[in-house]
Amino acid sequence: MLLNRKNSGERWRIRPDGRDKVTGAMKYLTDMALPGMLTGLVLRSPYPHAAILGIRVDQARKLPGVHAVLTHLDVPGLNAYGIAIQDQPVFCYDRVRYVGDAVAAVAAETLEQAERALAAIEVDYEQLPVLDSPEKALENDADQLHPHGNVLHRNAYKTGDVERAFENCAHIVEETYSTPRQMHTYMETEGGLFVPGTDRLLNVYAPTQHGFMDRLQLSRILAVPQGDIRIVSSPIGGSFGGKDELNVQPYGALLAMKTGRPVRIHNSRWESVRVGLKRHPMVITMRTGADADGRLIAHQVRVTADTGPYATLGAEVLNFATEHVTGPYQYANVDVESMSVFTNNGMSGEFRGFGGNQAIFALEGQMDRLAECLGMDPWEFRKLNLREAGDPGPFGQPIARTDGARQVWKSLQESRLWKEREAALERRPGAACVPAGNPSTGPSDDGHSADSKSPWLKEGIGAAYVMHGAGLGVGIPDPAGGRLQLARDGRIEAVFGYEEFGQGLIATLELMLIETFGLAPEDIRIRIGDTDVVPDSGSSTASRATSMMWKSVQNMRMPFMTALLEAAGRLLHRNPGQLHMGRGGIYGRADGEGEGRKLLLPYQALAASTDEPLMAETRFSYPASPVDRVGAHFLYTYAAVAVKVEVNTLTGRVRVVDQFHTVAAGPVMNPQGYLGQIEGGSSMALGFTLTEDAVMTGGCYLTRNLDTYLVPTIAEHMGRIDVLPIEELPPGDPHGPRGIGEIGSVGLAPAVAAAVRQAVGRWVCKLPIDPAELQERPHFTQKAVAVHE
Amino acid sequence: MNENRAAERPAAPGTELYVNGNRVTVCTEPSKRLLHVLRDELQMTGAKRSCEIGRCGACMVLLDGRPVNACLTMLYQCGGRTVTTIEGIAPQESGGLDPVQQAFLEEGGYQCGYCTPGMIISVKALLDFIPDPTDEEITEALSGNICRCTGYGGIIRSVRRASELKKISSSDA
Ligand code: FES
Ligand code: FES
Repeated sequence: MLLNRKNSGERWRIRPDGRDKVTGAMKYLTDMALPGMLTGLVLRSPYPHAAILGIRVDQARKLPGVHAVLTHLDVPGLNAYGIAIQDQPVFCYDRVRYVGDAVAAVAAETLEQAERALAAIEVDYEQLPVLDSPEKALENDADQLHPHGNVLHRNAYKTGDVERAFENCAHIVEETYSTPRQMHTYMETEGGLFVPGTDRLLNVYAPTQHGFMDRLQLSRILAVPQGDIRIVSSPIGGSFGGKDELNVQPYGALLAMKTGRPVRIHNSRWESVRVGLKRHPMVITMRTGADADGRLIAHQVRVTADTGPYATLGAEVLNFATEHVTGPYQYANVDVESMSVFTNNGMSGEFRGFGGNQAIFALEGQMDRLAECLGMDPWEFRKLNLREAGDPGPFGQPIARTDGARQVWKSLQESRLWKEREAALERRPGAACVPAGNPSTGPSDDGHSADSKSPWLKEGIGAAYVMHGAGLGVGIPDPAGGRLQLARDGRIEAVFGYEEFGQGLIATLELMLIETFGLAPEDIRIRIGDTDVVPDSGSSTASRATSMMWKSVQNMRMPFMTALLEAAGRLLHRNPGQLHMGRGGIYGRADGEGEGRKLLLPYQALAASTDEPLMAETRFSYPASPVDRVGAHFLYTYAAVAVKVEVNTLTGRVRVVDQFHTVAAGPVMNPQGYLGQIEGGSSMALGFTLTEDAVMTGGCYLTRNLDTYLVPTIAEHMGRIDVLPIEELPPGDPHGPRGIGEIGSVGLAPAVAAAVRQAVGRWVCKLPIDPAELQERPHFTQKAVAVHE
Repeated sequence: MNENRAAERPAAPGTELYVNGNRVTVCTEPSKRLLHVLRDELQMTGAKRSCEIGRCGACMVLLDGRPVNACLTMLYQCGGRTVTTIEGIAPQESGGLDPVQQAFLEEGGYQCGYCTPGMIISVKALLDFIPDPTDEEITEALSGNICRCTGYGGIIRSVRRASELKKISSSDA
């Protein structure tokens, strides 16, 4: 059943945070202000690579309204940060490695005064050769950006003997794919308010995906115990992975500590572009071979990622890509090598999809090319090579068993769009099949013209398959947990260390509690995003939060119910076995459901008359595969995407006019949130495919704002989009709902590439698609030229 | 304008405008952006700051009923005029919501919500002028409002729902 409001019935609910969002009452952390607050700004490097010879701040310190000017000399603790490796300086002192590197920070009474102070700081630089590509960074005589060289991380995975296997292949396809520097473009740029406290040293109100990680990182920088810092981190105006790492927090924190006054920082869009993380640009070369029957035999992959100047999660992203370049298919011989390279380009890091987007674009491109060489239907070709349920994962690791792979395969096969494609092919047999040996261009008049009056518009339908891991993977601490408690005022509080950045986590949790305990919305209070009140539930990342909340609620259900019912039983002098929880309080079970039910004890009365705290807590870890392969995943979500595109061969523009997404992720926890994740993810993928690229030359951004960085607008989204969730899990599956936060952002790019191939006979291997590659000389000019000849 | 003359000009007497029905006098330079005035002088943070170059629509407000980007509008352009922000579009009685707001709630036309105030302003302006817009009219009215979260599906459904709700409420009236 398609996912929409009508089919969801009562489970389609108004979000608890909805009202404040539609009325403008919601206070984002960058909306906060306090009397006496100062404005903070950061001085950043104008050069992608330079030595610092001197920094002079005296003039700036003397300016009116300026309360602090800080440099590396003013960092009491560790002058570095990074979730995985702390190699990014808070303030640079000997060298800058990209145009976002910070050298100083100021706090002043007004923005203008802060700007003047920034301008008055003098820094002497000596420019150094700019390593603006991995190739340059890997040259023998290249400057070394870090003591351990210019390679952040290498990974590899090998089985069998690919070279020998290639000799036995009937068909081999080799292609190099490249992907753009995609920007998260959360609408709320980085920022926050930093408030020195009396009860504690520092209160930080700044978006992040993991408050406890920020607290840990700031405690190192400030050299204070973690308990001295409180991090309030929700609500968030979008993140998509981009706000997981620290951004303005070190500067806000240091300035507030130094001045003893509240300091606000809110990045301009340009500041956000130049400093913020992007999706790793990757170049992926694949050589893939099959036998004459279409069975994959050999798959060789080389991945090079441009990770920019510092580590953040570059190694982890690379590991993820390394795992996902083989995907859901079986091959006896695999040879993957990957490398993440430091450069003087912008920072790359965590971004929804986490390296899977690039890997799967390339992998699915190979599948389409090979199917075509074989003269096979691309979807049948995939089926022939799909792993069986119960097979190990891409790294040969045990994975949780589901039928997801076959389920989404079948669901796409039966979809309206795929049937449309098959019908079109029947009318024009062979249209999707170009003779082998001519892989780059097919006959261009194969494409099906959308409208006979506009023969330059060509339509095509394509599909792609996605198997995407969730959780952090083997070898990375992946804690989870939460707490349920009956508060003094009778509300049932659910307390989790997760963050709300728009995905609808609060709404999902509310619905879970309503359905698990039969509560009314008014019975519930949800507390998240504040290190003072929540347990550390791990990061809200890697599509893990909903799964972990579900598991937590499952774990706490019996202990919490038992605690409440036993306390109620004592008060009511009844056997707790005769009682149950419901809307507003405790009911008698013997009364049965419906009319006869009687509210025996409101939660408020229960809370008022018990001294002991009624609560349940759980702590556990995200399930991991029992192997020692770092980054290997255990839980996977499966999806398939079909799209119909219209290519204007005069302009080369591609329009996606129809989409079908099918996702096997177990039960739908929150229909509105699920639909929104898939629709929103696919919009992000559309930008990745067609328009988005933060362009850099020589280590400098040419893209500065949203006039040149083109995210999809509503104009690109008037087409149809169907989302079909597949909810069945194998009987007894203990893991429940799988992550869906990222998978929607993955499959669209290769599906569009396949559809473009069908429409105009061209293979796309570089994103975003360059319209110039798809332009054809109009028919009438060809004629005119012929006459003149 | 000649810069010296600007420098010699006596301190601005204050610009008078009407914000959500209230007369306010703002004593800041008339060349300040309306977005800054709303957020930092009047502490009304419903209009959001995002691109500040008129590309994203997060800062949208109504100026005499027409949608404008508050990040591109100067204070002096607002003198004597009526500014309506997201905080002011709901009917005054407590708990009231504009049909557009109601529709966004019902359809889930938002996620992080950061684009939502601007989006709702643009939709309201659209439906005030064209109660039953075509796809082309929706596209034209909203293509200056970027939403990074929803993929616009929920927004398009909200616009259609708002159009319905408005019809229902006007036929009730
Ligand atoms: S902030 Fe005004 S249009 Fe973007
Ligand atoms: S809801 Fe987040 S930008 Fe629109």
